[in-house]
Amino acid sequence: MSPEEPPPPSRRAFLRSGVAAAFGLGLAGCGFLPEGRNAFGDPDRPIDVKVDGDLVYFNWADFVAPAVFDGFEKEYGVKVIQSNFDSMEGMAAKLNAGNRYDIIFPTAKWAQRLADGGRLRRIDHSQLPHADAVFSRYRYFADPWYDHHSAHTVPFTMYKTGIGWRKDRMGDDLAGSWGDLWNARARGQVFVLDDRDEVLGMAALKLGLDIGTSDERDLARITATLQSLRPRLRGFSSDSYNNLLNGNAVMTQAWSGDMAAMLGQAKDPSVLGFEVAREGAPINSDCYAIPVNARHPGTAMLFIDYMLRPENVRKNIRYIGYPMPVGGSEDVYAAIVKPFPQCLVAPDDLKADLFFRNASSKGEQARDTAWTHVKAG
Amino acid sequence: MAQRTPSGALRDRRGRSASGTRLWTWLMLPGTLWMTGFLIASLILVATLALGTTDPLGNPRFGFNFDNIAAMADPAYRIVLLRSLGFALIACVVCLIVAYPVAYSIALHGGRFKNLLIAAIVVPFFANYLVRMYGWSVVLSDGGPVLKALRAVGLADGHTKILQSGVGVIAGLVYGFIVFMIIPLYAALERMDLSLIEAGRDLYGGPLRTFFFVTLPATRQGAAAGAVLVFLPAMGDFVSAQLMGGPDQIMIGNLIQDKFFQGQNWPLGSALTMLMMAVLFIGMLGYLRRTRKDEAEAAR
Repeated sequence: MSPEEPPPPSRRAFLRSGVAAAFGLGLAGCGFLPEGRNAFGDPDRPIDVKVDGDLVYFNWADFVAPAVFDGFEKEYGVKVIQSNFDSMEGMAAKLNAGNRYDIIFPTAKWAQRLADGGRLRRIDHSQLPHADAVFSRYRYFADPWYDHHSAHTVPFTMYKTGIGWRKDRMGDDLAGSWGDLWNARARGQVFVLDDRDEVLGMAALKLGLDIGTSDERDLARITATLQSLRPRLRGFSSDSYNNLLNGNAVMTQAWSGDMAAMLGQAKDPSVLGFEVAREGAPINSDCYAIPVNARHPGTAMLFIDYMLRPENVRKNIRYIGYPMPVGGSEDVYAAIVKPFPQCLVAPDDLKADLFFRNASSKGEQARDTAWTHVKAG
Repeated sequence: MAQRTPSGALRDRRGRSASGTRLWTWLMLPGTLWMTGFLIASLILVATLALGTTDPLGNPRFGFNFDNIAAMADPAYRIVLLRSLGFALIACVVCLIVAYPVAYSIALHGGRFKNLLIAAIVVPFFANYLVRMYGWSVVLSDGGPVLKALRAVGLADGHTKILQSGVGVIAGLVYGFIVFMIIPLYAALERMDLSLIEAGRDLYGGPLRTFFFVTLPATRQGAAAGAVLVFLPAMGDFVSAQLMGGPDQIMIGNLIQDKFFQGQNWPLGSALTMLMMAVLFIGMLGYLRRTRKDEAEAAR
């Protein structure tokens, strides 16, 4: 076996280490998996940009237009072998178990975790002729907080969180604040996302606190604030799309991408509204990344550059309803979200820097406990 | 004790040949291995993980850290655990009340359609649980047929809702698991000695008296088995509360799901799982003692 490609731990090894530890055979402190940065391969090896096999692709479902895939397969004579995840945690679990993908799409927070853990190959942007439209227009991504100089990632989409509401039930205008969720007329008809960071972050912004705070006193204020929302609350659900469309929600915390998608689906989109709060809108971004144990990193590099071609960016924006930080594509997205201009993500939104970041393990624990209290009621 | 039969084959006391016993031992092996590998080993894994920690990439790491066990003292978990017990118990009782007449009429009056009727009940349950629950959430939604019908006859007003309420969750649990109640009840009723009912009638018992003093006690074991089969999955369920429940209906399964899939805190999720299993285990012990007593009585 070549030294470049250490084998992933086998399923049997996984079970064996678990059972062995279960019997307390002095394995305290060990994990399931090999430790150390280079356990899955060397992240710093340069990638030879050429077709080196079919593309093993791992993303949320339906996040690339099928026509774009077809074009890539035809042009490079490779197959795209797709699989999907339904949460970042699910993605990480598959990677941790040693599964091998050529291209993955982590959010900013997860990109940082993976890059810091030595799980992502370094990407040389000079090898991507179309990357200039990203980094020259969206300077923020030239050195984002989650990946120094974007050394392991290329940004893919951007989105923010706001409030979606039914104009036919609540009127045309709200106050433009997170406090709108506490509107007395929406009693028992408000949903918030079933997402720890989004809900705690929303209350933090309302209180003027740091969006990712893990300070005990801050968290106590946040949980108290969210308790006061309970009489208005109908549920925790990330299905804003259906809740608004079928009328179970008159108001819901919602991701801008979902609202954009709704424009194409609603029978009468004019009954829907979307606003971002003046206290601040959490922002997020998905990236392209190549796992360190990818078998075909060369094909993955070709794929990233292919996806950044203006015609493909346009096709994808139309297909998924999310804006992409690629200079020249702004008009396409603006046309899609004309009724919801607040869905647009401008460079200034990025500078506001309201990203959900990784906390220390103690901090994560404190946020977890707060979330349990919010949910348990 | 093994002894030679007239034909010379070695047989044990119950008359099984040694080679036959060996064959059955071999046939049991795959099942036993499967259970050991995927049930017992994974249980031990969960128990051990409860003492572990998590690294920044979400990898669980073993250790001897009792923080997760200590965290179980948080009143939030007690509230949610009691709520889940309550929901599972109510679902069990509703299942029993709904399932008994169904099982009774099929077993005693189904005639040649018995198998067809049982199939008609079981087959829809082959469809994915999640899909069926999604279907229910549409049926019970504010604009759905159930509320429309209730409003039409004046039993509900514009503010009534079933989704995101306790009623919604119970409806979900009952629909989700009722087949586990119908089948054991049907089996018990099928097995029942019908002459007992005739005897009851001969002794001038009316239909109700006969039912409560003869049929019901005779099928008690079926009902108990059904109750266990419904209670266990209902207690750990998270789909029903997720799709049909509101903020006040969160169940223990939802918290466990959060720990595994949102916080990526497998150790805390494992500790919660162990807590839930401990509660269920106590209930199971009660059931086992009860059935053993019943069997002992029946044997006498």
